[in-house]
Amino acid sequence: MDKNFNSSSERKLNCKDVGKCFKLLESILDGEADLESKDILDEKLEKCQPCFEHFHLEKVIREVLKTKCTKHMVPVELADTIRQKIQAIK
Amino acid sequence: MSEIQRKKYSDKDKNTIFDQEFMPHIDSMYNFAYRLTFDEDDAKDLVQDTYLKAYRFINSFERGTNAKAWLFRILKNSFINEYRKKSKQPSKVDYQEVETYYNSDNVDYNMTSDLRVDTVKDMLGDEISNALNSLAVDFRTVIILCDLEGFTYEEMAKILDIPIGTVRSRLHRARNLLKEKLKGYAQNMGYDTEEEQ
Repeated sequence: MDKNFNSSSERKLNCKDVGKCFKLLESILDGEADLESKDILDEKLEKCQPCFEHFHLEKVIREVLKTKCTKHMVPVELADTIRQKIQAIK
Repeated sequence: MSEIQRKKYSDKDKNTIFDQEFMPHIDSMYNFAYRLTFDEDDAKDLVQDTYLKAYRFINSFERGTNAKAWLFRILKNSFINEYRKKSKQPSKVDYQEVETYYNSDNVDYNMTSDLRVDTVKDMLGDEISNALNSLAVDFRTVIILCDLEGFTYEEMAKILDIPIGTVRSRLHRARNLLKEKLKGYAQNMGYDTEEEQ
C-alpha cells in the first residue's frame, strides 16, 4: 500500500458487506454517487481495510487509464478533408 | 439518433453547429476510432464517415444537447455496422471470457484483486495501453467512454443503447479483466505482487 496512506492498524480486516460496499465505492469513483454516499465512503475508508484497499486500487486504475493511455495525434489533414467533403455534398 | 427531425436548420446554422459543436471533438473521436480499429487509415475513415453522417442528419441534432455523446453514438454504430466486419486486425475477442462475464447484469462485486496500488502506479503507459487494447471490444469501449472520455453512466447508456444497469455491470467486469491483465504483466515483468510474498 502507498506510503502516504495512514496505518491500517485501526481498520477492521473483514468487511461484512463487501459486494454492496465495492459497488458503492465504484459508483463514487465514477462520479455517480450522491453526497450522502460520500459521507458513507469517508466512514468506510476510515474503518474498513478491504474497502480502503479496493477504493485505492480502483482509483489508481482510473488515474493511470486517464493519464497514461496516450492520445494518438489526429492526422493534420483530417479536419480539412472532412470540410472539403462537406462542401462537396452541400 | 432520432429520425424525427425537429426543425430544419438554415445553412448558416448548420455551419455554426458543425464548426462550434461538432469539430471541437475531433481529437476524442479519432482516439476512440483508433482504439476500436487499431489502424490509422481505418480510424481516419471512421471519423470522416461519422462527420459526414453527422452533417447529413444535422436536423436531428438538438442544439444545446450533448454533441459529443451524439457524435460518439454515430461513430460507435458506424463501427459496428461497417468496420467491425472488415477491420484489418482480427477481433481480439476471447469468447470464453465474454461467455463467462457477459450474460447478465448480476455482477459479483465480492472479487478482490491482489494487484498493488504501487505496482499499477509504476507501470508504463504502454503496459496500461496494451492491457486496455487486449480487452474485447465491448469491454474496451466502456472503459474508453468512462475513464478516457469522462462520459456519465447515463450518457454511456445512450451511446451504447443499453440500460444503465448494464453499463455499470459491464464497466465492473471490464475493470476486473483489466486488473487481471495488469497482474499478468506485473508478474511477468517481475513487479512485486502480493501473491509472491
